[in-house]
Amino acid sequence: MENTDPSLLPSIIFTTAAQLVDCVDKKLLVVLRDGRKLIGILRSFDQYANLVLQETIERIIVESMYSDIQRGVYIVRGENVVLVGEIVSFTLFFGSVAFDLLLTYLNLKDPEKENSIPLREVSLDEIYAAQQDEIDNRRRRELTKNSKLIDIGFSIDTQQEDMY
Amino acid sequence: MLPLTLLNTSQGHPMLVELKSGETLNGHLVNCDAWMNLTLKEVVQTNSDGTRFFRLPECYVRGNNIKYLRVPDEVLDIAREKNQQQREEQRKSNQPQRGGYNRQYSSSGQRGGYNRNRGGGNFGRGGGQFQRGGRGY
Repeated sequence: MENTDPSLLPSIIFTTAAQLVDCVDKKLLVVLRDGRKLIGILRSFDQYANLVLQETIERIIVESMYSDIQRGVYIVRGENVVLVGEIVSFTLFFGSVAFDLLLTYLNLKDPEKENSIPLREVSLDEIYAAQQDEIDNRRRRELTKNSKLIDIGFSIDTQQEDMY
Repeated sequence: MLPLTLLNTSQGHPMLVELKSGETLNGHLVNCDAWMNLTLKEVVQTNSDGTRFFRLPECYVRGNNIKYLRVPDEVLDIAREKNQQQREEQRKSNQPQRGGYNRQYSSSGQRGGYNRNRGGGNFGRGGGQFQRGGRGY
């Protein structure tokens, strides 16, 4: 404990809700346990990571399509929060090294697609239909999997609705 | 202003509560507590698929079942105003007894014995200061 320079204190990274101090009044992406994605301005939080979000939109993403719904003010109960991340404005992100890496990662780095955003916005009806399809597919897969598992002697007593 | 403070100021306002199960409750908030337990009135409950609706005159929600609450936009402004008012009142109530010397010591907690002998006045102020320091972020 010889290094007690107080100027070093800020470099300690809190992994508790205290970390969120830096995020107040910033635009955040919040992912909930049920898979919902909320984008809003963090106005306050407490020790349980209960969050107050203002001007929130809910973004539904299915494959490469997305759609936004205006939602307003949220009080999110901390238990249900999976992750909170600050949103860097796209204009800043665009053309940066990180963006380049993302494109490479998503296999989008061909010259024609270089300037394209990985997601495209669609209408609400479209996204709801796509989402329902996804849910149905998942349910069907689950049923097939379960019946196969039962065939080889496993017992199934839970349904995987919760993503986490 | 903390999330639960905002919830408190939402009393009397309409709100949407979604439970972890996916069920939603639309109603007016009557009361709430530090555990986020709620009582609502004039409630419309929907099942998790959103296909069935039930009207309940009143209901109680145990806080741990809540996923999130949606409150009207104006509640945020009301909460902010109330917060401001409270701060102003606190400042006013602190002003008349202007004992800078004593106050300093009572808030820092050093020489508590000395201050205790000076009577209850300091205690009240000390508490006020503690609250102010401890609030928020």
